Amino acid sequence: MRQALNDLRYRLRALFRRDAMDHELEAELQFHLDKEADKHVRAGLSPDEARRRARASFGAREGVKDDTRDVRGLVALETLVQDVRYAARGLTARPVFTAGIVLTLGLGLGANAAMFGIVDRLLFRTPDDLRDPSTLHRVYTSFLADGEKRIDRNLAFPVYLDFARASRSIEAFSAFQTLQTAVGDGAETEQMRVTVASANYFPLFNARPIHGRFFNASDDSLPVGSPVVVLGYGFWRARYGGDPGVLGKTLRVGQTVRTIIGVAPEGFVGLNDQGVPAAWIPITSYAHERRGTAYPANYGWSWLELVARRRPGVSVAAAEADLTLAFHESWRREAVSQPGIGTPDSARAAVTLGPLQFNRGPQAGQDAQVARWILGVSLIVLLIACANVANLLLSRAVSRQREIAVRLALGVSRARLIRQLLTESFILAVAGGVTGLAFANWGSAALRSFYFTAEESVAVASDVRTLLFAGVATIVVALLTGLVPALQAGRGDLAGALKVGSREGTYRRGRARVVLLVFQATLSVVLLVGAGLFVRSLRNVQGFRLGYDADRIVFAGANLRGTRLNPGDLNALNERMARAAREIPGVTHVSLAESVPFYSNESRGLWVPGVDSIRRRGRFVLQAGGPDYFATLGTRILRGRAFDESDRAGSPRVVVVSDGMARALWENADPIGKCIRISADTAPCTTVIGVAEEVRLRTLTDAREYTYYLPATQYGSPVSPQLFVRIQGEAADFVDPIRRRLQREMPGSAFAAAMPLDRLIDPARRSWKFGATMFVAFGGLALVLAAIGLYSLIAYDVAQRTQELGVRLALGASMGDVVKLVMSSGVRLVVVGLVLGGGLALWGSRWMESMMFQQSPRDPVVFGIVTLVLLAVALLASFGPALRAARVDPNTALRSD
Amino acid sequence: MHFYKSSDTVVPVEAGGETNPPHLPACPPMPPIDLPQGTLDLLILKALSLQPMHGWAISERLHQVSRTTLQVPQGSLYPALHRLERRGLIKAEWGASDNNRKAKYYELTRAGRKQLAAETDAWEQLTTAVALVLDQA
Repeated sequence: MRQALNDLRYRLRALFRRDAMDHELEAELQFHLDKEADKHVRAGLSPDEARRRARASFGAREGVKDDTRDVRGLVALETLVQDVRYAARGLTARPVFTAGIVLTLGLGLGANAAMFGIVDRLLFRTPDDLRDPSTLHRVYTSFLADGEKRIDRNLAFPVYLDFARASRSIEAFSAFQTLQTAVGDGAETEQMRVTVASANYFPLFNARPIHGRFFNASDDSLPVGSPVVVLGYGFWRARYGGDPGVLGKTLRVGQTVRTIIGVAPEGFVGLNDQGVPAAWIPITSYAHERRGTAYPANYGWSWLELVARRRPGVSVAAAEADLTLAFHESWRREAVSQPGIGTPDSARAAVTLGPLQFNRGPQAGQDAQVARWILGVSLIVLLIACANVANLLLSRAVSRQREIAVRLALGVSRARLIRQLLTESFILAVAGGVTGLAFANWGSAALRSFYFTAEESVAVASDVRTLLFAGVATIVVALLTGLVPALQAGRGDLAGALKVGSREGTYRRGRARVVLLVFQATLSVVLLVGAGLFVRSLRNVQGFRLGYDADRIVFAGANLRGTRLNPGDLNALNERMARAAREIPGVTHVSLAESVPFYSNESRGLWVPGVDSIRRRGRFVLQAGGPDYFATLGTRILRGRAFDESDRAGSPRVVVVSDGMARALWENADPIGKCIRISADTAPCTTVIGVAEEVRLRTLTDAREYTYYLPATQYGSPVSPQLFVRIQGEAADFVDPIRRRLQREMPGSAFAAAMPLDRLIDPARRSWKFGATMFVAFGGLALVLAAIGLYSLIAYDVAQRTQELGVRLALGASMGDVVKLVMSSGVRLVVVGLVLGGGLALWGSRWMESMMFQQSPRDPVVFGIVTLVLLAVALLASFGPALRAARVDPNTALRSD
Repeated sequence: MHFYKSSDTVVPVEAGGETNPPHLPACPPMPPIDLPQGTLDLLILKALSLQPMHGWAISERLHQVSRTTLQVPQGSLYPALHRLERRGLIKAEWGASDNNRKAKYYELTRAGRKQLAAETDAWEQLTTAVALVLDQA
């Protein structure tokens, strides 16, 4: 240990006081020589002879100095510094070359850093302050519906209770859900994000409230909990100015006035994926407000997400088995009131424990999948960029052949030479990495705003994991680009390289460069095929018939908070709202609606005489609407009629079914006049009077989602106070007028909200839009890089072949022949790339399948277009050099250099 | 990184020469005896164990005391000295020599003394064992 310290001290001194130590050494050796010379003089020699003797017996002074310096242990460091200086000099002497490489690498590395940051947050990172995250899991239930496995993460409150009661392998369950609800009173009311959480939710984290306290068990006790609220940090600062005296004050959340009991620490987001909530409220209190006292037994209301903490020592499989048994028990209990669901065994009811990151579980959103693909794409672009840079470095190495030959002849070891060349590519890679991080930091704002809210978006430059990834990527890039040129350096005929006039003789096109170029072309093809497929998917998504004219409809609703209306008053409110909306100029039709696309939907039990296992045939969504419903939405009636004013409470019950539903239930038989029973087996018949076109209310892609329509007057209870308003013109222009007009009809502290219907649907289309944009951007970038690579390769070839081409021209070849010769070499390379890339794309198409929307991943049109594009690029890229080749003057070319 | 050179080549001087001061030149060239690894370091440590010396004095002393058998090429002394300094077994200081010229004096440190004792023991054990084996044969 002592020795090591001495060692270090010596080395540090040697490093920083190098010149002084060299002087000392020189003085020391000189002293020795003088003394030795003196000795010989005293023995009788002449001073000159004495000095000569002394030198002879001493040995080569410079050699001794070198050996002594070697002992200092800094040789490696000093050679490194030397290499860096030499490389830097070489690079700054060719600024365009260097800038081109740094830019290319910067684009590649920057794109990767940006995408990695996003993918990391979506998929890999867990919330920072969780206690013991390895024992925490999300709870998913699954069961069969006609051979298809359905996975749910939303559970009903009684299921939560059943789990908590019956499972032995779970230490605790925490339930939560995040929703949008009205916060505040009067003019300050705002629709905000609120998390509903059980009492044991906060103990999952290490976080402590900065004021007051979090929930305790009594706040979340059955049946009504307590009317308390914990504020989010951002909301506390914005609404209360950070006043610590806020504890004990009241705040209206939803319909209940609640007491503020605590404030969460800054940045605390909990487990939800949508951003920092404004407040937290207890589950029981919220459930009671929404559904009265029946919620603990209501199996039909599935709204809670569960997180389970495994007991120590229990494996995931054992916990899943235990929970599955508990789920079976719960299922049997539910079957008592809902016999139609069958037995848990027949439905293969089971429980899975998934990772905490929602996007890694079985219900991963499309966004996350797209993000993963885009990360892969950016890696491919980086590879293409590396191939370009490697090609450039290779061509530069060839032009430095003479310099390298000289150095090797002078005695530099090959290892040293390789190290020096690698140092050069490391410097380039590091410069590219820094540039890339700058690009990613400034340029990815739009990208991140797509995925994250403003509060959670962390700049790339301050994200440690992304920086680490960028560092590793930089090193890999340096090795990839520098290794081949470095290893190739100094091979071959040194003597030949030293000779003047190295242009003589035949040229050999380096195989490495060709391989690199084919590699680039292959990858570009794969990317472009992906881009083409995504673009077509996007067009399909955008052109997809939803079954209604979303761009012409404004969705408006009343948020009743606190005002309890009896059914008569509720009906009256609906009437007033509908009438008020109709009066607005520009409004053509208005209708009430119970289910809202991509927002909420109703469903009831269905019984159809003569048809069994309804549940297995698909999902049936119930819509209730006013008499103008179909005209308002633009949903066409294919057969029979829609309901109208004549269908009132007391008139025969009628229903309109969707096209798909008719076929699912009665196949080709005429559905008009058929009977269905809603809500109970013993309910009276509701007769089918019409068939409407299929609509998309829940998802864009579920083919077995069907809708059936009841008139609002026959719905049984008043329809929720929600309206669809059909307008002429731009939906966005009508939002404010509609909201203001409806607000005048609102009772008490209720308030009206309105938005264009498109706003509800856009999120469902978003991921295709994003995927298409990114694929096209990256595909284009890859194409540009490959084109540059091809151009430089062919131009270089032409330069090397000047003599040969001169000979050809002199022997009688026409300009056209030469042009064809040069261009065909370029096209040939690209064709090889096309074949390989096309093969690769076909092979990988099965993974693309799930990302496509009504688009086959093996679409020949896309492949055909990509082929044409690449061939065109190849022709363009080789045209310039080819022209130059054809203009070669045979005289100058033939003359020996 | 190597702490010991692979070998220190030594040119032996004809035995029988006078010990002090060494006389004139022209020792007939004899095949060199290679010092085993690390032995030069041991010799330096021993030389310094009596008093601090500068490099030339060490070289002279080794030459004298070994009855002129060992003539270490003087150049290889200095890397060895610096190596020992780096390991902290000796320390260096500039001082005035006998004729008032500046010279770099080396001195054993405590660690150096311990190392010297340890290595001397090891050396004696080694040579005894080798002698035994050679006697056997």
